[in-house]
Amino acid sequence: MGLLATDLRALANLPGTRAGRRIVAGTGIGLGLLALMSWWGTGELLAHPRLLQMVLPATGEPLVGLLGFGLGACPVAASWIGLALAQRQLFESPELNLWLAAPLPRWRPALQVLLRASFLALLWGTALAGPVVGGLLASKQAPWPAYALAPLALLVCTVPLLAALLGVQLVLVRFFAGRVLRLVLTLVSALASAGFSTWLLVGLFTAAEERLPQLAAAGAGAGRLPWTIDSAAHLLAAAAGGRCDVSALASALGWLAAALAGFVALGHLHPRAVEKHLESQPPLRRRRSGWPSSVAGAIRRKEFAQVLQQPGALLGFLAFAVLVVALARQRVLVGGLLDASRLPPDLASVAAMLVLWFVAVLLVLYAHMGRLAMWDGPQWPLYLAAPARPVAILWGKLQAVALFLLWPLVVVGAAGSQMLGAGPAAVGLFAAVALAGTVAALGVLAAVGTWPRLMRPDDAGQIVQGGRSFLAALVLVVAFELVAAPVYFGWPLLVDAPQQRLAGGAGPASLHGWAVPAIWLFALLAGASGFGLGVRNYGRLLRAR
Amino acid sequence: MAATALIETCDLGRAYGGKWAVRHLGLQVARGEIYGFLGQNGAGKTTTIRMLAALLRPSEGSLRIDGIDPRVAPRALKQRVGLVPDTPPLHDYLTGRQYVGLVASLWHVGRRERDARAERLFALLQLEEAADELCKGYSHGMRKKVHLAAVLATAPPVLLLDEATTGLDPIGVRRLKDLLLEESARGTTILFSTHVLETAEQICHRVGILVRGTLRAEGTVADLRAAHGGASLEDVFLATATGAAAGGGDGPARD
Repeated sequence: MGLLATDLRALANLPGTRAGRRIVAGTGIGLGLLALMSWWGTGELLAHPRLLQMVLPATGEPLVGLLGFGLGACPVAASWIGLALAQRQLFESPELNLWLAAPLPRWRPALQVLLRASFLALLWGTALAGPVVGGLLASKQAPWPAYALAPLALLVCTVPLLAALLGVQLVLVRFFAGRVLRLVLTLVSALASAGFSTWLLVGLFTAAEERLPQLAAAGAGAGRLPWTIDSAAHLLAAAAGGRCDVSALASALGWLAAALAGFVALGHLHPRAVEKHLESQPPLRRRRSGWPSSVAGAIRRKEFAQVLQQPGALLGFLAFAVLVVALARQRVLVGGLLDASRLPPDLASVAAMLVLWFVAVLLVLYAHMGRLAMWDGPQWPLYLAAPARPVAILWGKLQAVALFLLWPLVVVGAAGSQMLGAGPAAVGLFAAVALAGTVAALGVLAAVGTWPRLMRPDDAGQIVQGGRSFLAALVLVVAFELVAAPVYFGWPLLVDAPQQRLAGGAGPASLHGWAVPAIWLFALLAGASGFGLGVRNYGRLLRAR
Repeated sequence: MAATALIETCDLGRAYGGKWAVRHLGLQVARGEIYGFLGQNGAGKTTTIRMLAALLRPSEGSLRIDGIDPRVAPRALKQRVGLVPDTPPLHDYLTGRQYVGLVASLWHVGRRERDARAERLFALLQLEEAADELCKGYSHGMRKKVHLAAVLATAPPVLLLDEATTGLDPIGVRRLKDLLLEESARGTTILFSTHVLETAEQICHRVGILVRGTLRAEGTVADLRAAHGGASLEDVFLATATGAAAGGGDGPARD
């Protein structure tokens, strides 16, 4: 059985086992929800008659631009997967040992990695771009060949870019392998992960009205699209009109063939690149240092050590800061708040910083949730075998996470004071509220990140995530939003009721009187409840099975 | 059950989805004894060890470690047990020394005690050089040795080892055997699963042969060999394992 057939067989086997069904269900639900949100967003935009009037008559071929806008999700997903996920598959996957030892052509293992990455990218691309493309074709009452060509369009927008990204990494590692390149690739991987999450979050948070200018620009932007998207968009636009654009079809197929041929050629470098990659990691020695003897202290120290001693982990924190600063500089999601004339400037900047902080925390919350149980998968049997009290282990982990969660607060505070014009009082108020939010976030993490249904160890004692990780991420986001909901709904009360007083020069400091204590009270309640649930869950996770 | 037995099981059994991995297991291992647990792949050795370490709940029967029932006091039981699994649960981005520190903290071992034991064990297992390197770069054998050092640094009265010699070089195997004999002389009870019959023959006071989840033979190596007409332990093992298979699993026939 060939590698491709083996992968297909493994996929076909998934529904046959309980764990496999969980993976399928988890992935299906996650991607399905994304597709549903994308579908709603598209529906909202396309049902907007003002938009269609504004866009459609304005340019010669607006559908091409709009399809290009929709298909744009494919290269974004491909970039994320190519830079963040497939990179590890290409050089560090345990299966490489078997593939490279087998009498296969030199390029075959690399091609297999590309095929896997393409499959994954297509799943994401289809979930994100499929509803937009489908909605646009439906709005034009396109005939069936247009729908039949949609998978080809998604392929063309995904595979060539993925092949190029993996090919470039192959060449770089083959010829320039070393510690510096490792760090660079790790940084790029961190940026890609954080960038994709930001793109997704911003996309999901942006209201339809705010996307109108973006869409109008896309409608007018036909001709300025990247080549691969351009071919796919022209192909679909022509098909929607009942025509077959032969040159676009040839171009699309040409891109696919060229990408595969080019990647196969570069794939010959793969075995040597893997070798160089492994050679480029000399053993890292660390200074001896004291280790706490208390359980919580040891666990806290272990979490820090894993971040500080993992090459590139700190770069992830840096990449995150860069992204948050970029969001602040571009006033993403907060432009409306800052420009709202009815708010005093200080209060507007506090609100803007809180919005940015909320998004920033959402970006890292999942990663920190993993520290509680998920990332300890293979090491979980150690905790199972240990006589330590579950509450002590969880407490140690939460202490570390609490300190990590201060990073978004610091970065947003700094960005707010430098870019959003927040004064010291506004930054102080923001910090007071965001600290309370951090306590609430810890409660959410403790409750969701230890939930046995999402984190249950397998029979060997290891925590195997599979498809549940996606579900866990969704549950986490929803839970955090629910916890933040009272503040969101309390906002009008905060703004409208004391508006006169604030506008009269009282400033944000006057909010300390009642709002901040109320928020803290709520946060402590949420934090304590979450911790209580977490302790109960941890006890169940660490019980004999 | 013997009063001095630190490991005691009575009619112990564990089923996975209705299929019994271990059944009717009665073990008694005395303080300071090294007990070799032999069996083919899938015979139920690891399942038994995981039940003894309170990681798996028995489906039937009972067990006690140092008189403690895991259903009553699981943490007190775990405090007395050191487990060395086939795949050591090392953290890749901790150094060996840090990992030993972590494990010692989880088992509530004081700093001074831990450091003294760790230094001795690192020297004994030839880990001084690698102790301050990240575990990520360790070979399988080194990972095993580091985990063994971490477990022994907690000075457990009961030591459960699952295929502990796999992946170790000949010097490592020799050091491990010396270490286990030393621990045994100090009063540590050791249950040792292995496929290397020679090792079992050399260090185990008694061995038990597990076949499809049931204990088919048990005794000192000399007794087992005598019962089979002076055959080698390998022949005894083969006869027990294949004989049981040919017999169709008609219940335990303990020696």
